[in-house]
Amino acid sequence: MKLFKSILTVLSILSFPFSAFAVDTSFPNDKVTIWGDFSGITLDVKLIGGAPYDPLYEEMIPVWEEKTGGKVSILSKKSHFELDKEIKQDIAAGNISYCVVSNHTSFATQYGDIYRDLNGIVPGDYLAEFVPLVLDHSTVEGRLVQLPQHSDVSNLWYIKSIYNDAENKKRFKAEYGYDLAPPETLEQWKEQSIFWSDPPNFYGTQYVGKEEAITGRFYELVIAEGGALFDDEWRPTFNDEAGQRALQWFVDLYDAKAVPAGVLNYLWDETGLGFASGTVALNLDWGGWGAYFNSADSKIGGDVGLVRFPMGSGGKRGGWSGSHTYSILNGCPEENLEAAASLIWILTNHEAQMHEARGGKLPTMTRVWDDIASEMDAEGNAFMSNLFSTFKASMAEDAFTPPLIPEWIPFSNIIFPELQAAIVGDKTVKEALDAAAKETDYLMQDAGYY
Amino acid sequence: MNKKFFSSPIILILPSILAISFVIIIPLIFSFYTSFTSYKLTRPDSLFDFVGLRNYERLIDNAKFWYAFGRTILFLAIVLNLELLFGLGIALLINKITWGQRTLRTIMMFPMMFSPILVGFQWKYIFNDNIGLLNNFLYLFGYESAIPWLIDKYLAMGSIMVAEIWANTSIFAILLLAGLLGIPRDPIEAARVDGCNSWQVFKNITLPFLMPFVFIALTIRSLDVGRAYDIVHIMTGGGPAMRTELIWTMIARIGYKDANMGYANAMSYVSIILSIAFTYYFFTKLVAARRDLGQQQ
Repeated sequence: MKLFKSILTVLSILSFPFSAFAVDTSFPNDKVTIWGDFSGITLDVKLIGGAPYDPLYEEMIPVWEEKTGGKVSILSKKSHFELDKEIKQDIAAGNISYCVVSNHTSFATQYGDIYRDLNGIVPGDYLAEFVPLVLDHSTVEGRLVQLPQHSDVSNLWYIKSIYNDAENKKRFKAEYGYDLAPPETLEQWKEQSIFWSDPPNFYGTQYVGKEEAITGRFYELVIAEGGALFDDEWRPTFNDEAGQRALQWFVDLYDAKAVPAGVLNYLWDETGLGFASGTVALNLDWGGWGAYFNSADSKIGGDVGLVRFPMGSGGKRGGWSGSHTYSILNGCPEENLEAAASLIWILTNHEAQMHEARGGKLPTMTRVWDDIASEMDAEGNAFMSNLFSTFKASMAEDAFTPPLIPEWIPFSNIIFPELQAAIVGDKTVKEALDAAAKETDYLMQDAGYY
Repeated sequence: MNKKFFSSPIILILPSILAISFVIIIPLIFSFYTSFTSYKLTRPDSLFDFVGLRNYERLIDNAKFWYAFGRTILFLAIVLNLELLFGLGIALLINKITWGQRTLRTIMMFPMMFSPILVGFQWKYIFNDNIGLLNNFLYLFGYESAIPWLIDKYLAMGSIMVAEIWANTSIFAILLLAGLLGIPRDPIEAARVDGCNSWQVFKNITLPFLMPFVFIALTIRSLDVGRAYDIVHIMTGGGPAMRTELIWTMIARIGYKDANMGYANAMSYVSIILSIAFTYYFFTKLVAARRDLGQQQ
């Protein structure tokens, strides 16, 4: 039976509409509009693609083409990791004459000066609509190289019914000596995960376990534990006691079998699918999955709770954050700049962000945070109201980007295999972090930081 | 001299020479040159930053590279041998069939029609420890532990081998079936009249006739498997903790994700030694097999 449930879960995610909400093409709530007559202009673009992103393009790009007379030629549409590789090849080949490209605050610093400064291209009164901190994260060396569409930060989703069960409460209190409630600290998170685990049928929690995903997770735990990845001179410091505590947390969960055995091969799809299959009690994830988790397509639909990222021993919460953005390339011809700005506007404006937020994505425009909360309150949708109030608090109080340096991805590629080596027991926590710190030291020296 | 140079044969083969130069020789020279630079994809000016043998010196000291190199040789050896065995078995069975052989040949080629990326995703979900089909299938029979197929030190490599073998065994089967169909019937019938049993016929007649095809298939597949990337990248990304890291997943990460193309190209040129060694070995064997059959030119 579980086999068939698994098949159905996989099929349901493949068919789940990430965003089935219509847009109002009169754009009634957009104070700033960037229309124009762009007849005869074709904008070459490269976009991040996939189920969470395509619906917006399908809604907005035809509207833009109809209202402006311009055309959009999508040269490439793929996952951001693949797009990242393609952009690097384009830079090497000198093939960067297209106009608009999807970008990300964590990636943008790698690409040098291929982007135009959007100050002066995008009207200032439109930029003023965005959350200042997010615009700050979109700025590289004083240049606004990207305009954010939506932001990522993670919070802790949980299955409500198991927390409300009287028998569970009694057992937990007897075992751990405090009342069962969604975790407030990393220690509680670990204890509760171990308490819930009943492998292979049910797991306490899970984490994205490879590539930049686990680097980011480790990074936010280091911060929560009161540490830092680098010191002021960019020398690695993540192998200190705070870093070791952070990595030990992952190791302890793995050793206790409180996470699925394959967790080190998981990325966002696997953790999202796993939680929606009802086999995981606590799941750290972004808001974009929210509507799906609570929908009829999910095994835990109607039974999903959400709390802020628990605190570490350093008195801070995790808050690894970034934003999906759009940039205009230097190679975009001058005569197409206005059209490019207009296209970015329609993909990031109030209507677009409301459309995305109805599925749970986090807005980057100050006004949309309030408007989406009001809309959900008016609909009596307590789940989505809680989603936005929780994530709003995280974005305001906890969110921090990874170091905005070109070496972030190469650094991630050094550290993540070492984190995994410690988790699976090939190395001790100290050995793994020391090895990563040594290699990172070479990387930073080669890059000329010291 | 000029007259000789511009003679008809030279002019006639000139387009081929130019095409091969542009498509193969110039990129090879260029990539070989970059292996002596600190070339980063995102900094095109670094193309002229000549660093001599530094990249090669670094990779000689890079234990992770040599582990990946060794793992790739092991992967090649196991996958090629198993594909050969399974492919030979399938070819022999299909060769026996007198009805529906064409249909079976077509069905047999289905796995080859999938892109390696799709094959990778398919097997990744089959081997997923939590919601994967294989573990859930085992639970039906009372097995009560989630097997970490893509994590365990040995199972992870084995799982990737299963995917690779599933996708490509039919290449062996097709090539060997072509060989079987081309074997003359007379020696086989003569051997049977002389009292040879099936194993003796296979060992002394069928197999020697088949050996040139075996070595051609091994050469083609060794080049293919030696470049294994897509399936490994999708299923494990070379992890966890580099347990399934092969040469090309490592080179792709360094070349594209880290954008460190100079160093990645140095690794590529060292890796090519592997392909050359396998190709040379199999071609030597091919020539020997043809000589044994008296087919040498």
